[in-house]
Amino acid sequence: MKYTEYINSLLKEHVNNTDGLVLYGQNIDAGSCLGGLTRGLSTSNNSASILNTPNSENCLVGVGFGLMMNDVSSIFFMKQLDFLLLGIDQIVNTYNIIRQSIPSASFTIFPVTMDSGYEGPQASLNNLDDFCSIAGVDGYSVTNKIDAKEIISKYLTKPGFRIISVGQRLLQSDMLDIECVSQDEDANYFQYTNGDDATIVCFNNALQYGYELRNIMRERQMSASLFSVNAHLYKDYTSILNNIGRTQKLILIDDTKSRNRLSDKFLIEVLRSHLLKKEIVVGRSISDDSFGPCKDLLDIDYNKIVYDISTS
Amino acid sequence: MNENDLSIVKKVLWLRLAQVVVNELYKQKEFVVPIHLALGHESLAVAVDAVMEARDNLFLSHRNIHYNLTRMQSLKEELDEYYLRKSGIGEGRLGSMNLFNKQKNISYASSILGNNLPVGCGYALANKMKNSDGVVFIVTGDGAVEEGAFYESILFMKSNSLPAVIIIENNDWSLATKTNERRANIDFDKFANSLDVEYLHLQGNDPFKYQREIKLLREKALQERTPVLCEVKLVTLGHWHMDHADFPDGKFINYHGGPAPEVQEMEYPLLETSSNDPLFVLKQYLPIDELIKMSNELTSLLKEEIK
Repeated sequence: MKYTEYINSLLKEHVNNTDGLVLYGQNIDAGSCLGGLTRGLSTSNNSASILNTPNSENCLVGVGFGLMMNDVSSIFFMKQLDFLLLGIDQIVNTYNIIRQSIPSASFTIFPVTMDSGYEGPQASLNNLDDFCSIAGVDGYSVTNKIDAKEIISKYLTKPGFRIISVGQRLLQSDMLDIECVSQDEDANYFQYTNGDDATIVCFNNALQYGYELRNIMRERQMSASLFSVNAHLYKDYTSILNNIGRTQKLILIDDTKSRNRLSDKFLIEVLRSHLLKKEIVVGRSISDDSFGPCKDLLDIDYNKIVYDISTS
Repeated sequence: MNENDLSIVKKVLWLRLAQVVVNELYKQKEFVVPIHLALGHESLAVAVDAVMEARDNLFLSHRNIHYNLTRMQSLKEELDEYYLRKSGIGEGRLGSMNLFNKQKNISYASSILGNNLPVGCGYALANKMKNSDGVVFIVTGDGAVEEGAFYESILFMKSNSLPAVIIIENNDWSLATKTNERRANIDFDKFANSLDVEYLHLQGNDPFKYQREIKLLREKALQERTPVLCEVKLVTLGHWHMDHADFPDGKFINYHGGPAPEVQEMEYPLLETSSNDPLFVLKQYLPIDELIKMSNELTSLLKEEIK
């Protein structure tokens, strides 16, 4: 099943089981329905209100907060995360007032992160870290079948505000169907394999790289613990830190172009807690020319990583 | 003059007196939060308060003292908020520029230009979802209308048939810049017309006329399920003249925020002898000696309340 189809089916199921929702955004019930992401939402639940809106992101973010203040839950679907820049004032200033009260309603912004690279400047902002940091709000990336189901069921209409994002690059690919060993109870991160030779920790939408690396290691008779961090605000990573303490070898993969990476804060925590035999950080260097159209995929020399881990 | 009309006059006068008290404390550096007085805006605030029904809600900007005070009819809790005390309207967490009061249907206030318009849109949309016949009142200014949120919000409200009264307090200034020093003129009538939105122009600070006209506008918004636009030309009073070598008579400083240094407590705190000052307009309705008597009584009550 394609990623888009699966997320769409989850959305329909959840919307169908939730009364009185307002679903809104540009083209969510017209045209391609955001490339199929929101197709059929209007027929899945008679009590939901579906609005195809004008292109007015500042207003539309404020609308979600206004609905929330008046006890109506909503989801604002966005084709491109970058347009959320136009609503940053609302996310920072309005939410900082609203968050002082205990919310009875939910507001979720559900954007597609532009991470295929060839959009140019837009794709230089291929992450939620910056948005979540600037406003101190919760945000979650969904990367596979397990985390998508958990995060959407747990957070999509939970009272309060958050951003849940899917990656453009993944949308038309086959949904990664992977077993889960354990998960943080708040769905901040998930563990997919348990091993002794290294701990692989993926941030943003990097799970696909970590999964491939883990498979290559398995072919070489090595085992790795594989984690993916979905939350974009700093959380408690105790079980990941414990795992790293056991393997003493960390491979950290982050495909974001942010200069304000959550993974950097995580790495500081790891280095403060453990004396490692080896740490390998895979990401983008600050000198990358990521402001114009370019391939967004990370170039990873998996063989070198495996060699470095096995000889350390 | 009947009781209702007398009450309107009293409220306009009380609001001026209350602000003068705030100003005196402000001049004594009592507050650390920035406060934007609304001297000259009293008639409008009292009229809006009189028109609002129990199910209506108000969305304000950084200059919100006049609406908060009028809706509360109490100075103490407002002052406590400015002192950032737990006993304040917002438990000392809102200060001045974001001061709202849900118990009085002031749902939100923002220090960011244009920010309250989208939030009001959402609130109005929720009203529609709930089949409520409440009207959202959003107060903005001639500076905030320059923000994209102004256009986006009216477009959204019109597109979704949301009843709302949008009031532009047009004092012709944004900080220290006059409108014609910063932008081309906006013809709000034509602007509203382009979106098939009713437009009303008010000026003159007559609280009774304002009340009548805004009431009709509210009814139109509700009956036709539409936003309506009301531009109110007014002068934010409290300007002063600063000593300056280039200006023998002193350099004119427009009042934007902070204390108004030349505004003083007095028996009848008239600031201008023209319709720019709502207290001047009140003289059309009551003899000055009655107004002075009323002013003295209200001042005593205010002092008693905050002592």
